[in-house]
Amino acid sequence: MQSSTSSGSDLREKLKELLVSELNLVGRDPASIADDAPLFTRERGGLGLDSLDALQIAMLVEERFSVRVPEGDEARPIFASIATLADFIAGAAGSGGERG
Amino acid sequence: MSAVSGGRGTIAVTGVGAVTSLGGTARETFERLVRGERGLRPLTVFDGAGYRTTIVAEVAGLEVPAEVESGRRRDASRTSTLALMAAREALDESELPREGLRVGLVVGGTTAGMLETESLLSVLVSPAGEVDEAARKEALARMLSHPLSAPTDKVARELAPFTRIRSLSSACSSGANALVVGATWLALDLVDAVVCGAADALCRVTLGGFGALGALDPEGARPFDRRRKGLTLGEGAGFVVLERARDARARRKAALCTLLGWSSRSEAHHITNPEPTGEAPARAMMTAMRRAGLGPADIDYVNAHGTGTPLNDPMESNAIARALGRDVERVPVSSQKGQIGHTLAAAGAIETTISALALVRGIIPPTGGLEEPDPACALVHVIGAPRDQPLRAVLSSSFGFGGMDTVLCFGSATAEAPEHPRAGRVVVTGSAALTPAGVATGDGLAALPSVPAAQASVPAEILALDPDRARRLDRSSRLAAVVLEAALAPSLRGEEPAADPTGHELGLVLGSAFGAVDATALFMRRLREKGPRLVSPADFPSLVPSSPAGHVSIYHHLRGASVVVADLATSGEAAFAQSHELVAAGEADALVAVAVEERSTIVEQVLAVVFAEARAQAASPRTEPRAEGASAIVLASEEHARAKGLMPLAAVHQVLVFDEHAEALSELTRPEGRAVVVSCDPTSRARDLVRGSRWADAAQLPWPAQQGSHEAMGGIALAVATAVLARGDADTTLCVGTARGRGYAVVLVKGSEGTARCP
Repeated sequence: MQSSTSSGSDLREKLKELLVSELNLVGRDPASIADDAPLFTRERGGLGLDSLDALQIAMLVEERFSVRVPEGDEARPIFASIATLADFIAGAAGSGGERG
Repeated sequence: MSAVSGGRGTIAVTGVGAVTSLGGTARETFERLVRGERGLRPLTVFDGAGYRTTIVAEVAGLEVPAEVESGRRRDASRTSTLALMAAREALDESELPREGLRVGLVVGGTTAGMLETESLLSVLVSPAGEVDEAARKEALARMLSHPLSAPTDKVARELAPFTRIRSLSSACSSGANALVVGATWLALDLVDAVVCGAADALCRVTLGGFGALGALDPEGARPFDRRRKGLTLGEGAGFVVLERARDARARRKAALCTLLGWSSRSEAHHITNPEPTGEAPARAMMTAMRRAGLGPADIDYVNAHGTGTPLNDPMESNAIARALGRDVERVPVSSQKGQIGHTLAAAGAIETTISALALVRGIIPPTGGLEEPDPACALVHVIGAPRDQPLRAVLSSSFGFGGMDTVLCFGSATAEAPEHPRAGRVVVTGSAALTPAGVATGDGLAALPSVPAAQASVPAEILALDPDRARRLDRSSRLAAVVLEAALAPSLRGEEPAADPTGHELGLVLGSAFGAVDATALFMRRLREKGPRLVSPADFPSLVPSSPAGHVSIYHHLRGASVVVADLATSGEAAFAQSHELVAAGEADALVAVAVEERSTIVEQVLAVVFAEARAQAASPRTEPRAEGASAIVLASEEHARAKGLMPLAAVHQVLVFDEHAEALSELTRPEGRAVVVSCDPTSRARDLVRGSRWADAAQLPWPAQQGSHEAMGGIALAVATAVLARGDADTTLCVGTARGRGYAVVLVKGSEGTARCP
């Protein structure tokens, strides 16, 4: 379980590895993903994911970090990039949303 | 050879049956739909704790009777029970005289006995020590009692006799496609009447899966409403009896309506999300109308798919507008999914009964749950009260996961459909097999290499596909995509599918007996250990039996019809027969018949138990180790092959489907020339049938050693036969495959000009 003492950069690296393995991004090196690379477009080094991936990421975040990602439009800014997703998880954890 | 004129005749619907959350019959359901009633209520069939919503359209008070056969309990299922009720109602209404008539049965489904399988899986995935060995063995022995074909077998047993049966899945368009297959059988004069429909029961996998996809509306589905949040999961069954209108007239049976046109297409877009412009559904609507000899001005009602999901409804509204043009401002549209839920496979069949009764009664039921139409769904909605108006023709749409879209067009009882040209000869223009030894085509296929000892799985390097496009493909889909690419290579010279953004019209029929058993077990394990909120949304679509066809149509950009068929050990033969029927009936210029079976730890454990019992009784000689594999055979009308400049490898001479009572294949023909039997079926049943036929003294191709055994092997034997003919090793071949006594016999001849023509 992710601990609240993890630094932000640890969390980002963890998320990158999680996405590559769980979304089966074969051939993609987690280290090559920029923190601010967009998740849902291929522009600017983005991952080109889609809405089914977003659901999968939300499920994984809930499972691994015990943080529930809101559904619908509220989720949009959270899923902008690895950095925004990591900030959301760290923020939710800091506000007592995290177990463990 | 020019296309020959049909002789199809107009098809009449002479019986309907339905079971839904609103009623135990088609008429009760219809009356309550018309009154705007909504059959949504809290789930009771299983414990709903932890699911995102437990509001479902459940069939209340359904009893699933236990069955006993030769002293052993046979597994009944909720889905089979629903199917039987609706099929019986349709047959009763049709008053079909069964004596001397060839009656067919086509059943669509997605979950079959999943609800019951879930209980067995929950025993099998329990940690060691939690369940005793006897309970585990009992669960294993019953684990494969619920394949996709089980409800079909149940209806066939209870309402016998049927001369031809088929089980299919195209996700939520299965019910509609069951009618397409039935219509094809009538067109080819394979049957005199056909009972077609589909059934699906509620289960944990679908409630958890659609929940994980965020596709369920906790307040109940509100199709086309601006506040809609998703669908309501339902259950039920719908069945109809189809026969030639002239036959119904001859026996003084009044038809309810006519089936005038139909069309199936694939979006080749995404496994769960519809392609937003609605191009494929619009084309399907236009083709169905053209097939019916009608245009938008003749349509008086559209019975929409209308699930109530945020993505479906605007897409479908776009599609209806594209297909109807200016008439979109006149034609009322309604959906019943806010009242009886989304019954998945059954939806298209239940909606057929609704369309039929709407035509009979001149009443359009309203869209229950719709109060504030979404401006993105600019249609003529039927809100609150039904509309009374005489109807001339109705379109009914069904769209499934993987982008499998089917549209049916119904007319009044006295309407006439135009003749549709049938294909002449059907030829094979490509074939390939995939075994643990690798991909085989051409001469390599004619002399299939032995598989290295202890190699039961296809090595990973052979399954190399475009990593980005293939990242969601499960193992069956990968096997199928690889073998299909090999078979298509010669058929697609200069027409590389990956490089062609518009895709092409090729369709796909994929045979698979058991589907994704191990993936379903994994899904159930997560459900059990982590709860319904944490099941994998991305894995859920792969549990639908039609998913390999969906994935492959997307990967290879195939835009023709795509569907899965299942018939246990003869699923490969069933796919070949189904493809042949569709091409011969002029439904498709070309189709690929694929067979695939992946290795499965659970299937292997189950079969070890089953075969150990059978060996103890000396009933089965099948002792080969389990393996996995796939085959692909491209079938095309001879005209199409000629127009595309494709060299036929072989031509189809005869496809015979026989039942368990067949004592000899007396109808089996044997063309002139060097005849070779190519069969991998080791059962005495298959051997005896060949020995008792005109093929008794034909040479036998020695089946290569150590192929292992799996349910797609019959497809591989057919692929080998095409290569044997192409290489000139034979003038004609026979392949025979049996499962539970039923089976298929396929006679192929050389593909070049001047060979025997199909009688």
